[in-house]
Amino acid sequence: MGTNTETPTPRAPEVPRPGAGALRVILWLIFVGVIYVYGWQVTQINLGELGRKAYLIKPLANDLIRPDLIERRPRLQVADAGIGLDGAAAPAPLETRGPGRITLSPTQAAIGARVTVSGEDFAPSRPVDIIWFDQSGVKVQLTKASTDASGRFQAAVTVPNVIGTMHHIMAEVGLEGTTLGPSNALRLTLFRMVETVFLALMGTTMGVVLAVPLSFLGAKNLMARNPIGVFVYYVIRTVFNIARSIEPLILATVFAVWVGIGPFAGVLALGIHSIASLGKLYSEQIESIDPGPIEAITATGASMLQVVRYAVVPQIVPPFIAFTIYRWDINVRMSTVIGFVGGGGLGFLLMQYINLLQWKQAATAVWAITLVVAAMDYLSAVVREKVV
Amino acid sequence: MRGAAVRIENLTKIYPDGTRALNGVSFSVAPGEFLIIIGLSGSGKSTLMRCINRLVDPTSGKIFVDEVEVTALPPDGLRRVRRQIGMIFQQFNLVKRSPVITNVLSGRLGYVPPAWSLYNYFPRSLREQAVAHLATVGIPEKAHTRADQLSGGQQQRVGIARALMQDPKLILADEPVASLDPATSHSVLRYVEELNRRDGITVMCSLHFLSLARRYGTRLIALKAGEIAFEGLPAEIDEQRFKEIFGEEAVEVEIA
Ligand SMILES: Nc1ncnc2c1ncn2[C@@H]1O[C@H](COP(=O)(O)OP(=O)(O)OP(=O)(O)O)[C@@H](O)[C@H]1O
Ligand SMILES: [Mg+2]
Repeated sequence: MGTNTETPTPRAPEVPRPGAGALRVILWLIFVGVIYVYGWQVTQINLGELGRKAYLIKPLANDLIRPDLIERRPRLQVADAGIGLDGAAAPAPLETRGPGRITLSPTQAAIGARVTVSGEDFAPSRPVDIIWFDQSGVKVQLTKASTDASGRFQAAVTVPNVIGTMHHIMAEVGLEGTTLGPSNALRLTLFRMVETVFLALMGTTMGVVLAVPLSFLGAKNLMARNPIGVFVYYVIRTVFNIARSIEPLILATVFAVWVGIGPFAGVLALGIHSIASLGKLYSEQIESIDPGPIEAITATGASMLQVVRYAVVPQIVPPFIAFTIYRWDINVRMSTVIGFVGGGGLGFLLMQYINLLQWKQAATAVWAITLVVAAMDYLSAVVREKVV
Repeated sequence: MRGAAVRIENLTKIYPDGTRALNGVSFSVAPGEFLIIIGLSGSGKSTLMRCINRLVDPTSGKIFVDEVEVTALPPDGLRRVRRQIGMIFQQFNLVKRSPVITNVLSGRLGYVPPAWSLYNYFPRSLREQAVAHLATVGIPEKAHTRADQLSGGQQQRVGIARALMQDPKLILADEPVASLDPATSHSVLRYVEELNRRDGITVMCSLHFLSLARRYGTRLIALKAGEIAFEGLPAEIDEQRFKEIFGEEAVEVEIA
């Protein structure tokens, strides 16, 4: 670098050419116009279809306002046996009502394979429903049969197109008379509702527990005191930024492959995303704290931990709580749909019902999702009011 | 209670960006003295104060507090010296969201077992002492108010009470009244003066205003560009002398 001692010659101020501004505006308008015309085409927007194809959505909409909640059920004798797909071992049987037993042959199969179901010790000369009992809890009727005079039956079924590897085949033998009670869809939905809330809870907790310590390592004002600290800071921030940019739905897809379809995959997906999002927010909060009190407490002879407790914690805890509630709201929403990609919860159930075209049951799940999100929104609003 | 003696030998501080904030400063403070440090903005007053309790690490030179070489202490020893040195800041540096009493009690952290701090536990005797110190500075009724709800003058009194909680032998006051109005400045400085006279605590106090410097100190040091430009009695430095040291244009800014 050399020093420049010459005084710079003053330059004439730029005189705008007349018309240049207008031309620029027109070019911009053309550019924006081209973008939207192309966007309209590429996304195949066709407003006419909304009216012309309304008949297609009508049955679905009708079913949506008549969710499957209560059902009149025949009195049943029930027995089941496990079946493993794609090489998985057959799971243990689940429930038995009455003296009957069934056996499968083979007990391991693949989608589309034929399986023989044989039953014995049921009520004699009664109709039998043979049902596929899915890993998510969904039931699909496979075929019908009837017991002979000695209470036996035999039937051949085809493995339906299902997700997951551990399933059951169930025989329901109808007795005389009926009972009224909550439908299978309602009971399953309630179970998955609880699972959904806990999915959000565990994911958020995992996020908070790991984001809190990591956020200190990702705060520049704490770490930029020596080269190692600076290195750690950049590593942590980079990891946060990369992990944050991966959508939880994609993470859930990956974890469903890794740990299997189910809520655990969902917890991991929400957890990882929460660590990164919360970690970044927490770190930025730590970076914005007032250094004055830290100096003052250090000057009293307090130890490092005491400085953190008395000068740092009071400055960061209230905002941390606010961020955490915000993340909880997002995770509740996310946990209702993360099942679409194998992450468990209500979404898993809804997906299964949609795949099987069981619209009334799907409606039950949709309403449950709405209910959960609204209830949790209300809850967090109350907590926010109290704490922040 | 006896104040500490301070001896500073050839103190130099060069910040990482190359700024030479102090350049070979040497002087001593006798126990019980009220030393005023004046100087223009950027002359190194804060740097000097912060070197004494090593909030800033000097580049070279030695600092002794009661014959303990502060500049050579390991972290543990440093904390034991720090807890005897109260510090009062221009910006008060209270924890704004915490109640006043917690701010005062935090002055005691260097003495209490660290495990207590996890639960914010202080024994009753210390709590009573904290309220007594608040009474000394005239605001005992504010003990359970949040610190950010106090006026500036009240916050600085909390700062003094926090320093008192340390049972200090030395008080470092870095422009303690620079953000306060003149009347409040006098009331705050009178509390500091009382501690100096009554308890014999040594005080080192930097000030912007010559009028305040001449009213409170027992001795005065003027810093100019990181070096000592004058050392003597406050009465010896009048406006004429001040102009000689700092130049004509400094006067209007510095004397109010
Ligand atoms: N952390 C730092 N890094 C680099 N330079 C600094 C730092 N702190 C202070 N300085 C510089 O050191 C010099 C002395 O600063 P210092 O804060 O000690 O002055 P001061 O007399 O307290 O000023 P003021 O009256 O404005 O508080 C100034 O030039 C300042 O810019
Ligand atoms: Mg200063």
